[in-house]
This record gives sequence, C-alpha cells and structure tokens, in this order.
Amino acid sequence: MKKELEHRFVTELEDNQNIVHKVCSLYTNDKDSHNDLFQEITIQLWKAYPKFRGDAKFSTWMYRVALNTAITLYRKSKKRVKTQDFDSVLYKIKTTDYDDTEERQLKLMYDAVKQLGDIDKALVFLYLEDKNYSEIAETLGISEVNARVKMSRVKTKLRTILNP
Amino acid sequence: MLDELELLKKDWQKREASLPKLSYEEIYPMIKKKSSSIVKWIFYISIIEFIFWAGVNIIFSGPETMEELKAMHIYKVVMALNVINYVIIFYFIYKFYTNYRKISFTDSSKNLMKAILKVKRTVTQYVWFNLIIFTISAIIYSYGVLLYTPEGQEIVTTASQDGKSVAFWALIIITSIAITGIVLFVIWLFYKLLYGILLKSLRKNYNELKRLEV
Repeated sequence: MKKELEHRFVTELEDNQNIVHKVCSLYTNDKDSHNDLFQEITIQLWKAYPKFRGDAKFSTWMYRVALNTAITLYRKSKKRVKTQDFDSVLYKIKTTDYDDTEERQLKLMYDAVKQLGDIDKALVFLYLEDKNYSEIAETLGISEVNARVKMSRVKTKLRTILNP
Repeated sequence: MLDELELLKKDWQKREASLPKLSYEEIYPMIKKKSSSIVKWIFYISIIEFIFWAGVNIIFSGPETMEELKAMHIYKVVMALNVINYVIIFYFIYKFYTNYRKISFTDSSKNLMKAILKVKRTVTQYVWFNLIIFTISAIIYSYGVLLYTPEGQEIVTTASQDGKSVAFWALIIITSIAITGIVLFVIWLFYKLLYGILLKSLRKNYNELKRLEV
C-alpha cells in the first residue's frame, strides 16, 4: 500500500518536476541552494500527498506547496544576486534565437525579478505561468482586487529597477 | 512595461526545455529525507521548552521540598499554585499540538504563515506563563524563608533591632523586582534572537500580505 503510494507520487512528481525547478530557479541563486530547495519542496509535497485528493489537478496543487515552501520555510543564504550565477546555473539564453538588444533586455528583466521580495516574486511567477488573477489570489490568500493592485505595484517596482 | 513583461513571459515558457530533469531514481530517495524547515525547528525547540519547564517543576516538588514547605506554612498555597500550573500546562500542550496540526502547505500562503506564527505564539505564551508562575513562587518562598525558618527569623530580628525594618523590607522588595526584571529581560532577549532569526523572513512576508488587506 505504502509502496504503491510512493510509486504514484514519485511518478507524478517526475512528470511535473518543471514546476518545482522553476520555483527553485527564482528563489535561489546557485546550484546547491536550488537542489536544497528542490529537496525541501519534495518533502513537503510528499508529506501533504496523502491529503491530496483528485479533485484538483496535481500540478495546481504542486504550485501551491512549492511556492509556500519557498516563501515560508526556506532559509536563503544571504548571498546577493550575482548575474554570472544566474547564467551559469540553469538558463543559457540561446543567442541564435534573439538579437542582442532583446537578449540584453531579457537579462535585465530576469535580474530585476530576482531582486524582488518573496511575495512579489511569487506574484510574478504565477503571472509568468499564465495563471489568472483569481488563481493568484487564491494561492496567496488575498482577494482578487488586492492581487491586481499588488501586481500593478510590482510592475512599477520592476520599472524602477530597470530605469533607476 | 507590459510589453516587456509579455516578452519575459514568452521567454519564460521557452526556457522549460533547459530546466534540469531528474529521474525517478533520483527523486525517490528524496522522499525519505528529513525536512530541515523552520517549522521543524520550531517544533523541536518547543518540545525542548515544554520538557525544560516540566523539569523545573518536578525538581521543585520532590518529597523533601514538601516537608520544607509545610515547615514554612506555605504548603497549601504552593500546592494550589501547582494545580493551577498543571492545568494550564496541559491546556498549552493541547493548544500547541492542535496549532501545529493546523499547519498545511496546501493552504493559501497567508493562512499557512498565520498558522506557523500561531504555533510560535503559543510557545512564547507558555514560556511567559512559566516565568510568571516562577516569579510568584519565588515571592512565596522568600516570604516563607524569612518568616518561618531560623535563618530567616534571625535576619528579620537583626533588621528590626537596628530600627531599620522599613528600609530592610523595601530593600528586599526592590532587590526581588530588580532580579526578576533582569531575568525576564535576558529571557526576552534570548527569544528575540532565537525566533527572530528563524522567523524573520516569514514574518516579513506575512506582514506584506496582511498590509494589502487594509
């Protein structure tokens, strides 16, 4: 019985691991922290799994647990965001796809997002994942109106970071 | 700006391909590992705190102490205090356990953070409660020692012989208050540091979400 549950969980996590990796990439700055956070999220997902009922999609449920772990539990190292870290870890922007200015602009954007606070980051993350405001509001536990207000503030904040 | 965010969104979705990919065999051992989260730490620290204060209570209620208490005429008061003490301790343990169980990572971020902070608050209240009980006991003990033990009586008699009885009692009271104050301050500082470090970012995030609702 337990073996079966373990098997089902690991298989589902394996199929949906992208979500966790994306959260890790936003909330950590180097490979070790990325793996640490991935490990911690996996534990929290596994602990909550027996309570997971099929009424929500596994991926939707994962967003919540993964983000919650990153926001509430994970103790980050005090290291400042370093741009070279960001490049070397996960994302290698394929230069063939972009011209130089677009690539530069994107890099600036990613750096700016990484400088945001935990909650703002969660908001941007859900936005990038194409979630609507009602989902964003529900995940964070605020009203939809407030989610919109917050998002527009984050946009302003990003703008200030980009154009000081 | 919106265009830039849209640009970012497109790129973000393209990047899926370059994310790490762990195999079944790599993920499986992860579910056997122990969490190193702050909730776990708060849980451990709280258990230690419960044990510590229960230990303090047991040490101060051995059979010899009982005899001494009777001799000092404060047996009944101390026993009443003990009963109240235990009832409240059980209440706190129950409260701590139910609060701890309420922590759920499938809840919304705000509720989750609220639940974690609530566990911490229960433990802090428990510690303060113990300090109060401890202070009250200390006062009762000093009263018993001074009035009913030979050593105490000697001190009191000497003081009144010198005709400085008022000054003597004032000194006793001031000293007790000062010592209690210092102990409370040190413990407060200890907690500030202990939980402050553990919960700093959590509290910050929680307040940020809470501020939105105002």
